[in-house]
Amino acid sequence: MVISPIHYIFVPLVAAFAIPLLSKLNKELPRIIPGIVLFYNIIISFVLMQEVNEVGYISEVIAGWRAPIGINLIITPFSGFLVSLISVLGFLIWLYGFRFKKVIDDGELRSYNILQMMMITGAIGIIITGDIFNLFVFLEIVAITAVSLTSFYRGRDGAEAGFKYLLIGGFASAMILLAILILYTQVGTLNMAEIAERMHTVPTGIKSTILILFIVGFGIEAELFPLNGWAPDAYSQAPGPTSTAFAGIVVKAGVYGLIRIIFTLFDIEGAYDFLIIAGLITMIIAEAAALKQTNLKRMLAYSSIGQMGLALIAFGIGTKEAVFAAMFLLLNHAIIKSLLFMTGSILMYNSKEKTISSLHGIAKRLPFISILFAIGAFAIVGLPPFSGFWSKLYILSAAADKEMIFLIVTILAVSVIEIIYYFRVVSKLYFAEGTTNVEVYKPKINAKISMLILGIAIFVIGFYPDLVTGYLHNAADILLDKASYIQYVLNTDSTIQ
Amino acid sequence: MNIFFLLIIILFSGALLSFVSNRIVPKISGIISFLIISLVSILFFSQVNIGETFQFILGEIPMQYGVTPYTYIFAIIVLGLGTLAAMYSIEYMKDKDRLGYFYSNFLLTILGMLGIVFSQDFISLFIFWEIMTWSSYLLVIYNGYNSRNVGMKYMIFSAIGAYAMLTAIVSIKANYGTYTIAEAIQNGAFNFSEHMYIPIMLLVGFAVKAALMPLHVWAPNAYSKSPMSFTSIFSGAMSKMGILGIGLVLASAYSYSNNDDTTNYITALRYTLGWLGGITAVMATIYALIQTDAKKLLAYSSVAQLGYIIVGLSTGTELGVMAALFLAVVHGIFKGALFMVVGAIEKQVGTTDMTKISGLIRKMPFTFFVALVSIIALAGVPPLGGFVGKWMLYEALITESNNYFLIIVIFFSSTAAFLYSYRFLFGLFLGQEEKETEHVTEAPITMIIPMMILAILLIVTGAFPGILFEPISHGMHNLGFSDVNWSMSVLVNVWGEESNMTYINLSIGIVFVVIFAFLTIKGYKGTKNVGTKDISTGGEIPTENENLTFQLDFFKPFERAAAPLYKRSMDKIWNDLGNAIDSLSDFMRKIYSGNGQTYALFVVIFLVILLLFKDTLFAN
Repeated sequence: MVISPIHYIFVPLVAAFAIPLLSKLNKELPRIIPGIVLFYNIIISFVLMQEVNEVGYISEVIAGWRAPIGINLIITPFSGFLVSLISVLGFLIWLYGFRFKKVIDDGELRSYNILQMMMITGAIGIIITGDIFNLFVFLEIVAITAVSLTSFYRGRDGAEAGFKYLLIGGFASAMILLAILILYTQVGTLNMAEIAERMHTVPTGIKSTILILFIVGFGIEAELFPLNGWAPDAYSQAPGPTSTAFAGIVVKAGVYGLIRIIFTLFDIEGAYDFLIIAGLITMIIAEAAALKQTNLKRMLAYSSIGQMGLALIAFGIGTKEAVFAAMFLLLNHAIIKSLLFMTGSILMYNSKEKTISSLHGIAKRLPFISILFAIGAFAIVGLPPFSGFWSKLYILSAAADKEMIFLIVTILAVSVIEIIYYFRVVSKLYFAEGTTNVEVYKPKINAKISMLILGIAIFVIGFYPDLVTGYLHNAADILLDKASYIQYVLNTDSTIQ
Repeated sequence: MNIFFLLIIILFSGALLSFVSNRIVPKISGIISFLIISLVSILFFSQVNIGETFQFILGEIPMQYGVTPYTYIFAIIVLGLGTLAAMYSIEYMKDKDRLGYFYSNFLLTILGMLGIVFSQDFISLFIFWEIMTWSSYLLVIYNGYNSRNVGMKYMIFSAIGAYAMLTAIVSIKANYGTYTIAEAIQNGAFNFSEHMYIPIMLLVGFAVKAALMPLHVWAPNAYSKSPMSFTSIFSGAMSKMGILGIGLVLASAYSYSNNDDTTNYITALRYTLGWLGGITAVMATIYALIQTDAKKLLAYSSVAQLGYIIVGLSTGTELGVMAALFLAVVHGIFKGALFMVVGAIEKQVGTTDMTKISGLIRKMPFTFFVALVSIIALAGVPPLGGFVGKWMLYEALITESNNYFLIIVIFFSSTAAFLYSYRFLFGLFLGQEEKETEHVTEAPITMIIPMMILAILLIVTGAFPGILFEPISHGMHNLGFSDVNWSMSVLVNVWGEESNMTYINLSIGIVFVVIFAFLTIKGYKGTKNVGTKDISTGGEIPTENENLTFQLDFFKPFERAAAPLYKRSMDKIWNDLGNAIDSLSDFMRKIYSGNGQTYALFVVIFLVILLLFKDTLFAN
């Protein structure tokens, strides 16, 4: 292969260690290095996606021990697509947060950039790894960096949010570790492909217990109800670029973990129905709660939870079209939610209480940002001709194929509620009478470029979804194709060069 | 590149251009949008051939564009009214702000409606329907009137309707294998034999836009609170999109009368729709009677007229459907004109409260003429278009349906319509002039021209209804109705031989002109202003500025008589439903109590529950 996937992990790690040293040379370096690293990620993704679309799989083993003894990294069209998405988003988030004002002293600058970069790396690691304990390690990386970033502003609220995340995240780690341990005693291996192969030897009772532990563990990261209490607080208290990263990147890793476990490792029918029901409950409760929010970022957080619920419903339906639709939703949600968090953070920047009433009428002074926010709001609700429409259409179509009319009606009823609270914000943004003496934060060109790119992506995908449907279909097919995953990993003959 | 793509691109870029150009050169957005819509109309009517279809694939869904004779009728309404409204807007919106926003959404609304007209597959229909919905929402909240309630109500109902449609659309694909409308009909999507929820959900979606009871509660406020130049296409053209859909579904349903069950369901549907239309007509008319704001009066009147149209569609006979479609077109014309009139008054006088203004006939004669013609058409008085449509409707109901109660309801509603028509005319134009309105001048010419064009159209369609009959009957053929014989009704003389009607109209016209000339020339010099000093009330001579015309509580006796009817309001039911959902979400929100230990407890409880039930959940 042209570039090894290990670069995804290796390069950021080196950079993370180097930043404190290099920052002695130049104070601004901690700002710049993550950008270079993340841009490099985009280049790797591009190259690897090309290759993966030709070859099918790319598998890379670490330290010369072949699978299944050694740890291997796998790029499939599914994981490759997710990782490319995360790389691009990571770079855009870095660009957006480049002149992040509230960071003052150099120590904070260093820590912020290192943590942000490692969080993204951890998420990428979760997705490309083929070994289950490695998955746990990366999950811990994500958890630690995320908790630190949540409480970055050393205030009471940040600390409270960080503590909740730590507490519940601790549960997540414990559950997953316990599940891995039990699994190891049953199948004797930590390699995911081999586990998948040997799963049928595990007795049903133990199998379902392990599955439950995994579901609770990953469900916490994927913001399933009732495990998502930490999420609204964490999203609203974290700094702007971090909440964007949470919504766009971290939660995707959590969903990925859940899906990989259920689709590849386990083969239990009930799990799919469970996903549908859990996703449905998550969605209903989150969107209903969002209706009553007065804090913009909390509202966006609940909306994010709801969309993840919808994604889980789609994965739970389980047919090829449904999985394709779910991936499309993940793609759209990543782009749109990131845009919403980015613009939302700017709109809320100078307000003390961060409530929606502080953005009455701001559109006159921040027209560009408001329009992007409005586009994001329209897109996430699923209005044509924006990209969100297509994902919703495909999900509903997949549900209709399976005669799940009640599901369709519920999803659409919840969509009406989404429309209410998003349009409420948009109309207040433009038409409500506001206090004119609040200072608005005018973003600089770097933030504007990031947001503009996301906005353009929404339009382009909305008008011509066929650009991405090819990749997504590949990804969906691969996810459902357990047999080739196993075969490729275990029989592959690759070593590092 | 095919013509439909071209039209879409022109309208989209027009919207973008209007939005941006407003920052560079103010006021130019109006002219740009007018030019764009005119261009689109010209292109549409010259280049589009009925019956041609274009297929392409987007998002892996086969889409089809094309104009059928049936949708052509609606294209006429949309583009005609759109162009005139755009011309009207130039002056009407002149001094307002956010013009770029207004015109870009205006163009997007027209794009949405035009797209609906030429969509031949459900997905395109839905896409354009939604574009139309959100751009019109943005215009409804333009005036900033309590934007949460008025605009939000509109958006919620439109969303409910649109999502009902979406449910039906994905079910059609799942059950009948296609997204294309024609194929779906062929495969039996609307035949009520199985999956009955599909056509019913589609009807719900269309009924929201057509303001059918009980989904009409958004209409009065939305129509009256939006800017008037938008309301003319909102009420004139957009509601007809709902009619387009209802007509399509019903026509397809009628053509399947295979077995008794189906026929029974379809008959039940017809009766239900007929009654809903009738009740809408009556209730809206009654509410219109007590309005003091001219805009709201017209808004309620719109809802009532749509009720008639739906009653016509529900009869299922050729005459009834033709009456409905004819009324639809004519309603578009006169309602569009009336909203323009009210807009002109609003612009010149500053208010449309009928208790405050009167006697504008002197100051705004052209506006009065348009209003007069439109009101005559609305009330259904010969020789204008409304009469033709109403006559056909009555005839269809009387001769071909047994629904006598419905006939009575419609008659009653039409008579009451006459009452509010008069109120409108009298309240605004007749009566004694107020001192406050002395400064009022006639509306600017670019506002008068579109109104006059519409008024002339009304006169023409009244005299030569055949002009409209031709496209409508092509449309009905296309829908599957048998040959509508225009000359088949009782009044053979009137319809069959246009020349007769022409003679009647000619004679009326001549008489009118003669008398008018006589009165003007002979009496002009002899007219004198009768001042108020010539009157005395109770022994006192009233002062100059006291208005002695009867304006307030115009229909008070009627209001008292119909009081029980006013108490039952659909609005309250919906508001209560909204409040219930609100408290439900409050309850949901409280689950997230903010206490971290509680959240941790949730995790543990969840784990325990799953472990307890693991055998039933994950049995395999």
